[in-house]
Amino acid sequence: MSNFIIRKVAVLGAGVMGAQIAAHCANADVPVLLFDLPAKDGKPNAIVDKALAGLKKLDPAPFAAKDRAGFIDAANYGSDLEKLRECDLIIEAIAEKMEWKLDLYAKVAPFIRLDAIFASNTSGLSINALAEGMPAALRGRFCGIHFFNPPRYMSLVELIPTRDTEATMLDQLESWLTTRLGKSIVRAKDTPNFVANRVGVFSILAVMHHTARLGLGFDEVDGLTGPLIGRPKSATYRTADVVGLDTLAHVVGTMQATLPDDPWHAHFKVPDWLQELIAKGALGQKTRAGIYRKDGRQIQVLDLKTGDYRPSAGDVIPAVETMLKTKDPVERFSLLAASELLEAQFLWSIFRDVFHYCAVHLGDIADNARDIDLAMRWGFGWAQGPFETWQAADWSEIAKAIQLDIDHGRAMAKVPLPAWVFERKGVHEAGGSYSATTKALKPRPALPVYKRQLYPEQVLGEASADRGETLWENGNVSDGGVRLWTRPDQDARIGILSFKSKQHAIGDEVLDGLLEAVARAERDLDGVVLWHPAPFAVGANLHQVAAACQAGQFDMLERTVAKFQRASMTLKHAQVPVVTAIQGMALGGGCEFAMHSAHRVLALESYVGLVEAGVGLIPAGGGSKEFALQAHYAAQKAAGGDVFPYIQNSFQTIAMATVAKSALEAVQLGFAKPSDDVVFHPQELLYVGIRRARALAESGYRPPFVQRAVTVAGRNGIATCELLLVNMAEGGFISPYDYKVAKAAATALCGGEVETNSRVPEQWILDVERALFVDLLKQEKTQQRIAHTLETGKPLRN
Amino acid sequence: MSRQIQEAYIVAATRTPVAKRNGLFRSVRPDDMLAHVLSAVVAKVPGLDAQEIGDVIVGCAMPEAEQGMNVARIGLLLAGLPDSVPGITINRFCSSGLQAVADAAARIRLGEADVMIAAGTESMSAMPQIMGNKVSLNPAIFAKQENVGIAFGMGLTAEKVAQQWKVSREDQDSFALHSNQRACAAIAAGLFRNEISPYTVRAHVPGEGGAVRVIERVVDTDEGPRADASLEALGKLKPVFAARGSVTAGNSSQMSDGAGAVLLMSEAAVKRYGATPIARFVSYAVAGVPPQVMGIGPVEAIPRALKAGGVALGEVGWIELNEAFAAQSLAVMRQLSLDPARVNPLGGAIALGHPLGATGAIRTATLMNAMQRDANLRYGMISMCIGTGMGAAGVFERL
Repeated sequence: MSNFIIRKVAVLGAGVMGAQIAAHCANADVPVLLFDLPAKDGKPNAIVDKALAGLKKLDPAPFAAKDRAGFIDAANYGSDLEKLRECDLIIEAIAEKMEWKLDLYAKVAPFIRLDAIFASNTSGLSINALAEGMPAALRGRFCGIHFFNPPRYMSLVELIPTRDTEATMLDQLESWLTTRLGKSIVRAKDTPNFVANRVGVFSILAVMHHTARLGLGFDEVDGLTGPLIGRPKSATYRTADVVGLDTLAHVVGTMQATLPDDPWHAHFKVPDWLQELIAKGALGQKTRAGIYRKDGRQIQVLDLKTGDYRPSAGDVIPAVETMLKTKDPVERFSLLAASELLEAQFLWSIFRDVFHYCAVHLGDIADNARDIDLAMRWGFGWAQGPFETWQAADWSEIAKAIQLDIDHGRAMAKVPLPAWVFERKGVHEAGGSYSATTKALKPRPALPVYKRQLYPEQVLGEASADRGETLWENGNVSDGGVRLWTRPDQDARIGILSFKSKQHAIGDEVLDGLLEAVARAERDLDGVVLWHPAPFAVGANLHQVAAACQAGQFDMLERTVAKFQRASMTLKHAQVPVVTAIQGMALGGGCEFAMHSAHRVLALESYVGLVEAGVGLIPAGGGSKEFALQAHYAAQKAAGGDVFPYIQNSFQTIAMATVAKSALEAVQLGFAKPSDDVVFHPQELLYVGIRRARALAESGYRPPFVQRAVTVAGRNGIATCELLLVNMAEGGFISPYDYKVAKAAATALCGGEVETNSRVPEQWILDVERALFVDLLKQEKTQQRIAHTLETGKPLRN
Repeated sequence: MSRQIQEAYIVAATRTPVAKRNGLFRSVRPDDMLAHVLSAVVAKVPGLDAQEIGDVIVGCAMPEAEQGMNVARIGLLLAGLPDSVPGITINRFCSSGLQAVADAAARIRLGEADVMIAAGTESMSAMPQIMGNKVSLNPAIFAKQENVGIAFGMGLTAEKVAQQWKVSREDQDSFALHSNQRACAAIAAGLFRNEISPYTVRAHVPGEGGAVRVIERVVDTDEGPRADASLEALGKLKPVFAARGSVTAGNSSQMSDGAGAVLLMSEAAVKRYGATPIARFVSYAVAGVPPQVMGIGPVEAIPRALKAGGVALGEVGWIELNEAFAAQSLAVMRQLSLDPARVNPLGGAIALGHPLGATGAIRTATLMNAMQRDANLRYGMISMCIGTGMGAAGVFERL
């Protein structure tokens, strides 16, 4: 197969989805043309310009770095159609109106190259019907490409082929979306609302149905249908507010209009109260009122009994909470099903009806059960899909219970469970997942792109992944430690170093393990990748720090900090290359390890920062020293050689505990380098890391020298940092203790209280860092901050 | 104390329009602006033999980078003045331009010169950081509590003044609104036209086919004043310098680019070159105050200048009081019981902008223009507060 290259993308329609899809392409270094109608007056591209301006204000941010906005060019259908010829991929994302889309297709078709791909981001219209609007010559290159909102953050993209879509093109597009945009693909059939929305919207309707039947409050139901059952915090009703009640009603309307034969058709309507809210213009978050509203600081919820809003509570009764926290899923479900409590009955009912719905529709809407489960994880943020939840809770028992409820008229539809349900013990097995169409197990897709995912996200019941070969390990999950291992099928001489601690916090055992593992790697291997699933590392083990502070073991703490610094320096100066593979949070010590590595591969969604100030400390695992060193190198290239201008930004970054909210921002803030790799699909991280380590080893890697003469900003630099601090403290923006901590950060960054432009060895700066760190640890206010963070997970401003 | 042998007269004064920082003059160099006003002011006295200019004193608050290297000498050479004319750059932050006028007058009054030019130039667009291109503070500032005020940002000092002299947010916003309204009205009435020497900006930009395109734009009006200013909009702005403060971007002076120049002569020179004196330079004073309340500086400087000139406050019909911040302007006006009708009748720095070291020279041009317009005006005054805690005031008498 020849190379598949997308040089430029066009997105047609600068609405919420179109503009954000364009932004994500720009994140991925793909230039984009964003089209919309020409403005009636003023600048012709005013509509798109406004959408682009809006993107910069959206939260969470569609752009992984602000400058990406500059790689989207505004265009309009009036004067710029000719530019479509430059585009290899054209994504249509205009309003969900068949006539409008067909009109547009007729207008743009003459300008689309025959080898380009044209895809619609429709969420509900028939892809085959849309294809009719394309000239025959382009139909083979047409398909559905359904992103989820917000497209940068929601992993799922549903790809929907038409009868005519070329198979090769679809494979190429799937591979491109996976590696380049980091999306997770489910191939869907051309049925209304495709997979995720079909099940997800039904699930919302089922929740609404049982809320009303059992007379529960919306806040109460959100308490029950959120994280306690592995779903997002916004649960059901708050999600509806976020999506927009009008949008939700529209999607339900599509189901009503297009699925007349669905056994649940009678339920495809939104409740009267919701219609009334829409009629009143209370559409949810976008109109600041919907099912919930904010009154000052108080969150209020609509109460149907009074027809008015009341303060939202959402507490779950302890008996039900205990049931939901039961570890064994079999026991959990039997407790729910047997309970007389309304809340328990509610939960059993919503699970039952969704299981029922998915079993009946599996063959119509999806290729196999894995696709439904993954679609619900990736598109709706469920921790587990419906089939795996069912299978974990004892397939056959649940099946019997569902059928019993159907027989007694308790389920939402009378249609019986399909026969295959009773012939099986589940849908997911080592050999694959069940397909109701072929009545066989379907293995995972064999596309070469998936070979890059060494540990793909698995559904329950799949064959366990290759754990590789352990070379050495210490400690365990409770006290931490590390594992040094390899994947001989990938590269037997590139070691993989993984932390075993909770959240990959760095404690004594991790440090010991890391030092030993690197020593072994120097002896036996060609390189190391520091990798484990997200988060990369949440920083030092604060429990250990707090305990030692309480016991007054400051000498011991000093030795631990010294060991931390030794670990960082070991990563940096190891005789074999150490590559850190970062995804999720890389904070404090985790960030420092990353900064000290030979090379970094970062998942786009990496959250990197030196956040020590939040707990009243400064970076002392070499983080301050690395920034001082960066300033030294940068100043060498600048006229005059003054280091302070290069300290200033890192001082603010450290003093404000700024966290980079993407890999690209991590580079901008100096936690990573422009030459590092940004990997869009987190599951490809290890694959890339191993190959990067191999490439470094093959190209004759040598660690950098330990610098003997680093030019530091010294006393004038510290005083100039204090200029900012005095003004912030006097202005009441920071507390006196924030001042003290920030001054310590400045002192470390400036290499201590030495004359400006002094030249000091690297170790001197490490010693300054360490002394300041230990001094702060002795302060009562730092100890209070640590205790508060351990207790609440939040920083204390004292 | 005063031992003068002759009077010093202002015979001409002009200025560029004042542009917003990174606004219309973002590509204009401060030495070019200076050269422009120097040529313009000399041209106002056609009979003048430029060889006879004793010195060109130029105020600049951040005399470095584009405005470094003794910008006075560079500017006068670029203006085409004879190379026998010397130039000196002086700095007293925000009063540099007025200080230049005072120093030039002093040289004439002492009989050391008969013709002097005083000027000011400042491009805040050229400064990547407001405190200059390289900021480096002395650690000793933080070693003693009484010196910490040196490190206070100007906005923070305005907050301190607002607190100490109890100036409310509402009063500050309303003062800011009036400044904008007065400036807009003055522009609409063409009251600045006589004092402004329009500046032609030539921006070199990438053009078609690899050619550099030069875009010319004649700027003849101050860019800062906002006709759409309203109490409601001003009230929505967040305090910038203190978490629970009252000083906002809307009630502070604007950062700006601009230049001004003033031509001074002795009586003998006036006669020799056929010039028409506009005003007599009466007196000048500066005074120090604590750095943390620098905005109150004029309260000390104004009485000293009036006393030195033997002028009563009530006789001063026009006061250009630099609006560094509404908070300090109001505190000064209240402390000295200045008549709001006589203070900044055409608006002040909140609307018109404040190109630091140039402001004194620019506002001298405004005062001279007012004196030329209004025969009833006898005394006029220019005053401003100064960073790190000073005030300056200069008194002029219409002839």
